[in-house]
Amino acid sequence: MKKRGRGIACMWYPIGFTVSANPSAAVVKVNEDGTATVLTGTVEIGQGSLTVLAQIAAEELGISPRDVIMVSADTDGTPVDTGAIASRTTYVTGNAIRLAAKEAKKILFEVAAPMLGVRTDQLETRQGRIWVIDFPQKNISIGEVAYYSQVKLGRPVQGSASWNPPTVPLDPQTGQGKPFNTYVYATQIAEVEVDTETGQVDVLRIVAAHDCGTPINPMLVEGQIQGGISMGVGFALSEEMVFSSNGTLLTSSLSNYLIPTTVDMPEIEVIIVDNYDPTGPFGAKGVGEPTLVPTAAAILNAIYDAVGVRLYSLPATPEKVLKALREKEAQNNTASSTH
Amino acid sequence: MERDVIRKVPLVKPGEPGMIVEEAPTEELAGYPSVGRRIPRRDTIFQVLGQLKYINDLSFPGMLYAKVLRSRYAHARILRVDVSKALEVPGVVAAITADDIPVNSFGPSLQDQPVLAKDKVRHMGDGIAAVAAVSEQIAEEALEKIVVEYEPLPVVLDPLEAMREDAPRIHEPRSNIYWEWHIRKGDVEKALAEAHLVVQERYRTQMVEHVSMETHSSIAMWDAGGRLTVWCTVGRITLARTDLARILQVPVSRVRVVSTQLGGNFGGKNEITIEPVLAILAKKTGRPVKGTYSRKEEFIASTTRHPFIMEYTSGVTAEGRIIARKVRLIADGGAYCSWSETTLGKATILSAGPYDIPNIALDGYVVYTNKPMTGAMRGFGAPQVCFAYESHMDTIAHRLGMDPLQIRLLNAYDEGSISATGQILHSVALKKTLLAAAERFGWEVKER
Amino acid sequence: MAFTIKVKVNGEWKTADVEPEMTLLELLREQWGLTGTKLGCDEGDCGACTVLFDGKPVNSCLVLAVRADGHEVVTVEGLGTAERPHPLQSAFEQHGAVQCGFCAPGMLISAKALLDANPEPTEQEIREALAGNLCRCTGYTKIVEAVKSAGRAMKSSVK
Repeated sequence: MKKRGRGIACMWYPIGFTVSANPSAAVVKVNEDGTATVLTGTVEIGQGSLTVLAQIAAEELGISPRDVIMVSADTDGTPVDTGAIASRTTYVTGNAIRLAAKEAKKILFEVAAPMLGVRTDQLETRQGRIWVIDFPQKNISIGEVAYYSQVKLGRPVQGSASWNPPTVPLDPQTGQGKPFNTYVYATQIAEVEVDTETGQVDVLRIVAAHDCGTPINPMLVEGQIQGGISMGVGFALSEEMVFSSNGTLLTSSLSNYLIPTTVDMPEIEVIIVDNYDPTGPFGAKGVGEPTLVPTAAAILNAIYDAVGVRLYSLPATPEKVLKALREKEAQNNTASSTH
Repeated sequence: MERDVIRKVPLVKPGEPGMIVEEAPTEELAGYPSVGRRIPRRDTIFQVLGQLKYINDLSFPGMLYAKVLRSRYAHARILRVDVSKALEVPGVVAAITADDIPVNSFGPSLQDQPVLAKDKVRHMGDGIAAVAAVSEQIAEEALEKIVVEYEPLPVVLDPLEAMREDAPRIHEPRSNIYWEWHIRKGDVEKALAEAHLVVQERYRTQMVEHVSMETHSSIAMWDAGGRLTVWCTVGRITLARTDLARILQVPVSRVRVVSTQLGGNFGGKNEITIEPVLAILAKKTGRPVKGTYSRKEEFIASTTRHPFIMEYTSGVTAEGRIIARKVRLIADGGAYCSWSETTLGKATILSAGPYDIPNIALDGYVVYTNKPMTGAMRGFGAPQVCFAYESHMDTIAHRLGMDPLQIRLLNAYDEGSISATGQILHSVALKKTLLAAAERFGWEVKER
Repeated sequence: MAFTIKVKVNGEWKTADVEPEMTLLELLREQWGLTGTKLGCDEGDCGACTVLFDGKPVNSCLVLAVRADGHEVVTVEGLGTAERPHPLQSAFEQHGAVQCGFCAPGMLISAKALLDANPEPTEQEIREALAGNLCRCTGYTKIVEAVKSAGRAMKSSVK
């Protein structure tokens, strides 16, 4: 018989290192054609961080993200960055890049103000141009200002900055302290179908509601959540490194260590909840790791809801589910026979 | 690697002095505002055309290929290593052992991991010797000619067994328990005694691998001025540089670490693996040397996710308020520390769950076993403790006859809640996520 | 002993001297510099090395190079160019279907084989056709969406 159930799980997850310094530094150069080049020591690992970081630089400078050139991943050529770890890139590297872009923008304003006959605090950037606030007839392109600043005034337009999240060390006895500057939150709900004959669990649907602060690029946030859930489904149901008694790994290939394939993955519905963290770049926090954190718990709670067995260990393989079902059956029989 | 060859200077009015406009894009195309926009990634076109160069797609003239001999035993003393026969294989250019490594230890918290094992192997992924040859196949064949004499030692795979006083010590003379975390808030014993219901459970998780589709790959090359460049699949190039400089005993400024884009990381590529071996072989041969992990090496000779044993005791009121929570975590820390300290730390801090609980006692321990290294993996201990605290939450709800959503909403953190470590929390959107997910799913509250 | 073989690769006949144990994947990557095709496991489990062999998707790590003598092979480099990308390549880009990108070349080849044989696949048919191509980053959602959308685009361009 196939039985369906639903399970809910929520979580919290910190952004950045546990107390330890994890700085990012960045350099933003505004080029003579109004584009910008960002130098960062982080490494693109596939999550799309360079695109997100380009969007942050573009927003601060008021230019198109297409006009931001990202240079990364070279200890000689790029500033120090703690790297793509601890879900910190958008938050920490993003803050550093935003601050560096602000520095560059300050020079743009100082040069543009006399060109437009106004004070620097009367200026804003938007759409590749510097505008006089409330008087849009007066404006000038960023490229023109950058060119003039560099070639005529001898003042190249560039900024550099670094950022490190503020923390408070934990007391060695009580563990009291502020290990992280911010956290994200999420809830996932899974619907599963359990085959009581075979113990096979099929995940039918997952609804995932995540807080990441401002989603700088919602498409990439969705991609992180969908991908994290696939890792969570594997953790819940199929992945396990199994050793023989002498320590030999028995599952050392992808034919016996099973990660989810296209046919194992359920329908995923992603909700990015509205939130804004004033300590992050444009309100953003992060999303990389938390995406898989509640998945296994939601699935196991759904198994419990479906067939009434609580599994205390992962993964919930068919053998394990079947064994638990048999044990429950035996218990029920004993219970009913004593009545 | 930039796609945008057409430079766009948008919205320059005709006749206005300024830059040359090659294309006047629409606002939508130009991407204003930038934040919050679903723009496609700029590097994807290179990926889908097959043009993006990952490290293993790079090669240099005269490049050699390295392979590492892995241990036959999970725990053994090494009595003798002889690479002379491997050096006789045609096409083999160099071979090294632990004796060729200036400082044979590394690690982000504890420097307890050898580059190549010298006196002892602690798991089957330990490297003992390495060869560089003109092809990967020849290097692999040459490994079979290396002679290693072992004295097998008792193997400890279970962390509970490894914690015992009489267990074989993996890093003798030190205890197998190599890191602890403790958090205390309120009076947990008193609150448990006063609770309407006390629920006690134990959960376990397994060891898993990152399984990045790209395996670890690196190339090391020295220039005539004595500077080393390493192209590698490492996501933390800053740390890789300091680790390499320390092992090779050269100033940090003499090492350059470069990456392109990683074919997946998930925490598995945050530290060096084969890079020091390549650097030493490159120095010895005067040629660039590449090393790429096999899929099997990914499993046995890179980091994995810590298996956890998690004991939870919670005291709740009749209304479902959690007033006390005691957690004891034991993490199977594998053969070396790697990122265990941080993993255990995050796991312990997060282990009480995102709930406003006044009385808390959380203890975390990580223990050496003769298994592959456990280190950073997406979630740093959080997926393990979340599995426990959220399963435990449903058990509590079930025992009280409450709906799982309702008990979470009742206890969930809010703006200004105080965490287990005493931190005032801001930007807390937990209840928003609970309600949004429940609404979309169509969650109907069921109470008994 | 080396064999001289002739293979039609991405529309062009090429010759090579290969050792009998050399795989098609090694030939493509190491001799011909076609590094778009990836090595993920070398055991035929992950699909990163998928190429079209006479129009059918195969794991090139499991095919000996000598077997390709006289046959036609298409790799990801043969799908499209920056100026004229294949509809699948554009769809993968627009839908955010690629993260680390290491599975993408193999995934695209399997998807092309599917759409060549079945221009209007159902979601289930797409999932089954791609089941041999592992991806660790995306959870496959956006990949399936992209293949669907490419199928529609190809159909409308044929009309």
